[in-house]
Amino acid sequence: MFWTCCLCAISGAIGAAVVRNLFHASLLLGLSLVGIAGLYLFLEASYLACVQVIVYVGGILVLVMFATLFSSDVMGAVQRTPSWLRVTGITGALLASVVAVRLAAVAIHVAKGLEMTRGAMGRPDAITGGNGTEAIGDLLTGAWFVPFLAAGFLLTLALVAAVATVKRFRRTTEALRG
Amino acid sequence: MADFGPSSIASYLAVALVLFAAGVLAIGTRRNAIGVLIGIELMLNAAALQFAAYGRFRAEANDVQGQTAAVFVVVAAAAEAAVALALLFAVYRTSRDIDLEQTRELRS
Repeated sequence: MFWTCCLCAISGAIGAAVVRNLFHASLLLGLSLVGIAGLYLFLEASYLACVQVIVYVGGILVLVMFATLFSSDVMGAVQRTPSWLRVTGITGALLASVVAVRLAAVAIHVAKGLEMTRGAMGRPDAITGGNGTEAIGDLLTGAWFVPFLAAGFLLTLALVAAVATVKRFRRTTEALRG
Repeated sequence: MADFGPSSIASYLAVALVLFAAGVLAIGTRRNAIGVLIGIELMLNAAALQFAAYGRFRAEANDVQGQTAAVFVVVAAAAEAAVALALLFAVYRTSRDIDLEQTRELRS
């Protein structure tokens, strides 16, 4: 299992850097990200693994693939997919599903621990089944509070900047056309 | 020579090294802006993995400082990807191309 994750991460990264087709590169990036999520599980960082899957695979990878589809002739290139890449893709999908099953097993295990805690202690607020998630929350609202606020500020700023950039250029192009 | 395995920090550092090298390679060789963005994501991932690995193999038990730092790396990566893709979108609107060598200016 560990070596599967290592193989996912490394082969995905090298593939994303080397493969010519950008669409394939972003798919291989996804393979690498899922492999790293698996490695986080081995580092006893299940919260980080969940964040990795949600933010990277669910957010950034979708953005990158949207940009790829938006800006280049991908469908023609997909038709010309070489067979070795197809085999790699199928193998990658299998490896990724193994990692996904492992993630689900951990989630179920944590949920069971939570259920047991709640049942035994009778305190619905006590979340002690996670691997350090509670400790991360304590750290974020305690010693790391200022960086935490700064991160929130950065995200807000990024959102506003992204919207402002796109709006400004839309106005420019409309002015050019009209 | 460190033995590699799930319980050795060397294996995680080796994976992070390969990821970082792949990111540098992507940034150096890609002409397309999305390819460069993929390289940056790989490098940030390598950094986050190193944070988590060093945090896990510190002496103190139940120490999550490394994980917290890795969460901040993920936040930075998300913000960076949003802004980069907005810029890319703007460049594409003005020049219909996102080749970094061809793109000389943002003013249309």
